Amino acid sequence: MLDTTSVSPRALLARRKPGFSLEQAFYTSQEIFDLDLEAIFFRTWIYVGVEPDVPDEGDVMVVDIGRASVLILRDDDGEIRAFHNVCRHRGARIVHDEKSSVGKLVCKYHAWTYDLDGKLLRAEHMGADFDTSCHGLKPVHLKSVEGLLFICLADEAPADIDDLAEKMGPYLKPHAIRDTKVAHQVDLIELGNWKITMENNRECYHCAGNHPELTIPLFEYGFGFSPESMDETKAKEAHRYECMVDDLHGEWEGSGFPSKEIDHLDDRVTGFRTQRLPIDRAGESQTLDTKVASTKLLGELTEAKMGGLSFWTQPNSWHHFMSDHIVTFSVIPLSPDRTLLRTKWLVHKDAVEGVDYDLKRLTEVWIATNDQDGTLVGYQHSGVKSPAYEPGPYSPYTEGLVEKFVNWYCLRLADHLG
Amino acid sequence: MTDATAHLARHLADLQTWDSEADDTLVCTAVVDETHDVRTFVFEPPEPRRFAYRPGQFLTFEFALPSGPVNRCYTISSSPLRPHTVAITVKRVPNGPVSNWLHDHCAPGTAVKAIGPMGEFSCLDDPAPKYLFLSGGSGITPLMAMSRAFADLGRPVDVVFVHAARTPGDIVFRAELDLIARRLPGFRVAHLPERAGGEAGWAGPLGRLSAEFLALVAPDFKERSVWCCGPEPFMNAARSLLGALGHDPRLYHQESFDFAKLASAEPEVAAEVLDAEAAEAAAVPTYDVTFTKLGQTVKVRADQFILAAARDQGVRLAASCTEGLCGTCKAKIVSGTVDMSHKGGIRKKEVDQGLFLPCCSKPKSDLVVDR
Ligand SMILES: Cc1cc2nc3c(=O)[nH]c(=O)nc-3n(C[C@H](O)[C@H](O)[C@H](O)COP(=O)(O)OP(=O)(O)OC[C@H]3O[C@@H](n4cnc5c(N)ncnc54)[C@H](O)[C@@H]3O)c2cc1C
Ligand code: FES
Ligand SMILES: [Fe+2]
Repeated sequence: MLDTTSVSPRALLARRKPGFSLEQAFYTSQEIFDLDLEAIFFRTWIYVGVEPDVPDEGDVMVVDIGRASVLILRDDDGEIRAFHNVCRHRGARIVHDEKSSVGKLVCKYHAWTYDLDGKLLRAEHMGADFDTSCHGLKPVHLKSVEGLLFICLADEAPADIDDLAEKMGPYLKPHAIRDTKVAHQVDLIELGNWKITMENNRECYHCAGNHPELTIPLFEYGFGFSPESMDETKAKEAHRYECMVDDLHGEWEGSGFPSKEIDHLDDRVTGFRTQRLPIDRAGESQTLDTKVASTKLLGELTEAKMGGLSFWTQPNSWHHFMSDHIVTFSVIPLSPDRTLLRTKWLVHKDAVEGVDYDLKRLTEVWIATNDQDGTLVGYQHSGVKSPAYEPGPYSPYTEGLVEKFVNWYCLRLADHLG
Repeated sequence: MTDATAHLARHLADLQTWDSEADDTLVCTAVVDETHDVRTFVFEPPEPRRFAYRPGQFLTFEFALPSGPVNRCYTISSSPLRPHTVAITVKRVPNGPVSNWLHDHCAPGTAVKAIGPMGEFSCLDDPAPKYLFLSGGSGITPLMAMSRAFADLGRPVDVVFVHAARTPGDIVFRAELDLIARRLPGFRVAHLPERAGGEAGWAGPLGRLSAEFLALVAPDFKERSVWCCGPEPFMNAARSLLGALGHDPRLYHQESFDFAKLASAEPEVAAEVLDAEAAEAAAVPTYDVTFTKLGQTVKVRADQFILAAARDQGVRLAASCTEGLCGTCKAKIVSGTVDMSHKGGIRKKEVDQGLFLPCCSKPKSDLVVDR
């Protein structure tokens, strides 16, 4: 057993063993949790939602990240903007509901009134010499990648988001995120450190044993496998999957849908990975019968069998884009041992519930899967706390992407600590 | 032809008499500074008309203040012999909602509503060979209208015009009165500032109305028909002074600008104003606005903002900007419809959901509000 309580984060990082899970303190210590917020969540691009979260002018969404609270809104010109949710008078939080619709932003405390472009419009009793123009809301960097909203709380945001947007544009465009609506959202609080939630997502080693629903449409092999440890049936399955990837990628790319893997998980500040993954059986969507859950296909799509485009970003998101719906996931740390997993299901904005889609069919695979993953995260976190815990080895075949996540994390932390 | 000339030509055509029952709109054409806190506002109807009234009469105006419409009376200060326009001369009243609104916001082009003319305070109603006009502050207006009418005719009169003011700088129509006195035989002016304040070399009398002053400017005052208008203390002092000096009360006339006082002294005049206002108001329906959570119902006229009317009736509603900007007053309509003119404090989407801003909405029916 390693006693890490007295070791500095810098020293812990320095002695980190590649290919192994992190030392206990990274998952349990308040100090490192605080450091994670400073070094990662307040410095890199964080995925927080989609443009359809604020569909109309005046729609506002509040996202809290650690001690920061951010307003994401659509202004009167239809532009999406982000501001700190802090009144420039005495600092009161301005908007309290997660979603609302406003004419102007008005602080409840003393009714300081801001325009949707952040300008202070009105502050009573401040005297004739009071300059409202110096008291606008503080802006937060915002980047919409084809409708996926990323914010960055740093003074200077990493510039490589533009490159990400450029590379991901052709992959995401066919799914026309801006023309969707949020059909459903579930906020799940997992009882584990946020990195455990992320690590869990970055492998499918655990899928066969835990995700009976997800593994109907999704191949566990999409995230790596070890050929030699598999029995004959499994090997055949894996081979079928590989042939399918080859065929379908050829087909999709041929008809103008980029599908090939791009992996920049740990070689840049704004890390990401994408690949269009085949879907099993009917091949249409991540549903229990693998057929589309919404008969109104997204964007200009006419073919239902588009597989599931998988898109991940560091540190806090993953997404599945199908022909008929999109599932997006955002991870937000709450405390060393509590993490918010926010899942949104998007369908075509004109799709009518009960007519074009059935909400239960749309959501049941991922509600079950999230639930199973939440339990697994809890299992890991409670074990990691134990005095018996020591970092264990990742599978070189099925956990390579977990290693990339952890590696990216350590690089960012090292960069911050200087 | 210039605009002014073209306008003059229109006025010189055969004109109908202005009838406030047919059209009560007047448009401001000029604003004139008389003193530091007195201004004259000149009005004419949208289409040229002639005004017919007795000098000393007043109009009852309805002004569209941001808080809602407000009624006030103002004497016509201009001469009825120049019937194409009417002028009112208004003194600022500290914190007075209407007088200050006029000074600050009424400009050429501003439309107001007026009804009348009405009132009994005119020398025409009690002809006499000799007059003593006693005026204090803005009370000068009816006496000025009478004097201007005499001046326009130019025939000799016997008028002693006394104007009491705080300082020489507060004398309203000073130059014009001096001019009338120079040109109109038998018209004499005595300005009576309380103190010289500000004007070096003031040669006239100073102080308040007194037996000595009267003996000086109108030794024959007992024979004169007295017309008095000004602040209440001024009129009270004048009346008791004259009474004590043996002036016949039947020759004494006064008009109060304090509407409550006017109503008790001259109920018929007050009734005339109230009738006119009521006729005006009758044209505008009144609706019941019920606030379900507060359990209160108020009466709101179709031309009043709901928030202001509710506040006037003692119902406290949360609000901040009161101009439809901040949205603080947002409430849900349970039933009924309103006419709203906001400044961005509410979204179309919210309006579609039945929300509204009481601060900038007028009722169009009885209303039930979830507040
Ligand atoms: C027959 C007649 C003729 C008149 N002729 C003239 C004239 O020629 N020239 C002239 O200057 N004045 C004249 N007046 C007086 C005039 O009508 C107004 O009373 C005066 O201009 C002051 O109005 P105001 O609204 O500014 O203040 P006021 O109404 O006098 O208000 C004075 C104070 O009372 C309070 N108050 C009164 N009413 C309200 C209300 N509805 N809401 C809130 N607060 C209120 C205010 O706080 C203010 O401080 C005349 C009055 C009468 C009755
Ligand atoms: S009080 Fe500001 S909108 Fe009504
Ligand atoms: Fe999982």
